[in-house]
Amino acid sequence: MSDDLGGTRIESVRRHPAAAAARRWASGENIAASVVFVALFYVPYVFAGYPVFVLPQYMLFGILAMSLCLLWGLGGMVSFGQAAFFIVGAYSMGIAVHDIAGALGPWAGIGLGVAIAAAAAAAVGYFLFSARVRDSYFVLVTLAISTIAQVVANTASGVTGGFNGMFVPKVALDLPGLALSLQSDLTAYYVVFLLTLVTYVGLRTLQRSAFGKILVSIRENEERTESLGYNTALRKTIAFAISGGVAALAGAFYATDAGFVSPDLGGVLFSTNVVVWVAIGGRQYFLGAIVGAIGISALSNQLNAWIPTYWQLLLGLLFFVVIAFFRRGLVGTLLAIRPSMRRAQ
Amino acid sequence: MTQVLSVALDAISSSLVLALVALGLAVVFGLVRVINMGHGAMLALGAYITWTLVQHGLPFVVCVIASALLVGVFGLVFEIVLIRHFYDKQFETLLITWAFYLVATQLIKVFWGTDLHSVANPIRGTISIGGAVIGRYVAVVSLVSILLFAAAAWVMYRTNVGIRVRAMIQNREMAMMLGVRASAMYRAIFTLGAMLAGLAGGLISPMFSVEPDMGTLWLVRSFFVVTVGGLGSLVGGTLAGSALMGGATTLVSLVAQQVFAQTVVFALAVIALRFRPAGILGKKAA
Repeated sequence: MSDDLGGTRIESVRRHPAAAAARRWASGENIAASVVFVALFYVPYVFAGYPVFVLPQYMLFGILAMSLCLLWGLGGMVSFGQAAFFIVGAYSMGIAVHDIAGALGPWAGIGLGVAIAAAAAAAVGYFLFSARVRDSYFVLVTLAISTIAQVVANTASGVTGGFNGMFVPKVALDLPGLALSLQSDLTAYYVVFLLTLVTYVGLRTLQRSAFGKILVSIRENEERTESLGYNTALRKTIAFAISGGVAALAGAFYATDAGFVSPDLGGVLFSTNVVVWVAIGGRQYFLGAIVGAIGISALSNQLNAWIPTYWQLLLGLLFFVVIAFFRRGLVGTLLAIRPSMRRAQ
Repeated sequence: MTQVLSVALDAISSSLVLALVALGLAVVFGLVRVINMGHGAMLALGAYITWTLVQHGLPFVVCVIASALLVGVFGLVFEIVLIRHFYDKQFETLLITWAFYLVATQLIKVFWGTDLHSVANPIRGTISIGGAVIGRYVAVVSLVSILLFAAAAWVMYRTNVGIRVRAMIQNREMAMMLGVRASAMYRAIFTLGAMLAGLAGGLISPMFSVEPDMGTLWLVRSFFVVTVGGLGSLVGGTLAGSALMGGATTLVSLVAQQVFAQTVVFALAVIALRFRPAGILGKKAA
């Protein structure tokens, strides 16, 4: 019976290449991702006002979470320093908008932020990975990175505004034949939505590429990967640089969308939040990172006003439970239900 | 001359305070290979317990000892409930202890609020050594730190317990076959680490303001003390690490702001970690 079924399936796949492609595409993750993105696309049609204003920030947090997911889910490296790269992007945007007049400013801010963060990540990464600093020691260094970022942001007040923070105006993104002013909440929403979607698709493509597979191989067994002839230090450095760049990209857009950058955005606590989002959402899936970041930020926003300390306590306990017992996280656990259902049919 | 002496005294006392704070972390990290990210929270917990008991009019020494014991109990419960299942997975324990940090910090906020507190200095006044002045209390804490390290060295190298612990670090399976009860020893060491964190938190509470997140910076500092000094040798490594970290911070802060000095020293410590992964005193990495 089941053989027949399998045979039929193979037949149909052979006859219809398009059906084969569709079947390959229709993994649980892709379907879930489509649902999430379609839902995000229609949010402004259903809700007006506050959700449309605030969701872009959460989506940018989602991009930041994906930058950690690339390191943690694929490469097995946990970074407590993602906030540092995020704030590099944010300050670059702020400074560029203030100092470079005209349409070039925002683009320069985004470009500079991403370039500086990626270069810094590459330099630090290669410096450490080439000496086989990894696992817990890498975590320790990233913890120091975010501590340093926060201190520098606080003390270099001439550049960053220091303790008082930095105000950033809402910019207009000039494209050929199209000017997108982020002053309109709706435009800002769809610009950020598109950015999130493009980042997600880009990272998923990276995951499926040879590079992504080598990263997973490094996560599973670095020595073996190295003995197969791959320069693992270089691969990890590239992953860290991409991750830093993506975090800075989110930071640059966050600066102009939120309008304000405070030194705390570069610190240990914010970095910890990112780790919590990704762990609870599901570290193996970029979708988990997005869902974790948006879901927890939205919940935090609601509950912080209502039961601030208890909510943070609950979040800490949830993190505990996920780390100790549900390592796959929310999305990972949900997606794991599907294959067993399929088998039961 | 007086100025040099004063800087030297400053460097020595801050190194000893740092060593005191790092000792609990070094014990757990070095002996059972658990990276206790909750160390900072345990420190803060110790400081808060001391503050509360001082408010109730208890003598300072009693408060500090009570903090050590209570935080030790927290550590023991945490070990029994979770940590003991994860000893062979270093990376998991790192995340679990980080979760402990998050929960403990929030519990502190629930019980004590987020306001800054300060503990009155129990030993006021200063002493002058060759013209250089140092606070009496800081001197006493430095002395306590020296005594603790002497005691640790004595336990490790002059007692039966020390032999068992060292045997277990060298070869766990062999030590277990020879009758060392590893699980009980791990539990005792983890609890001791928590007690030391509580003790250090109580002792530093009159020197720094008591706030829920006070442990974070100390955590990073302590980590670097342990890694710069080297995991292999508990007493020598931790002392060498804190001398380097504390000394460097004092020296750099002569020419720059205190916070900036901290940053420079962290960067230096990262560089040290890269070139001497096993620490200054550690053997060459395999």
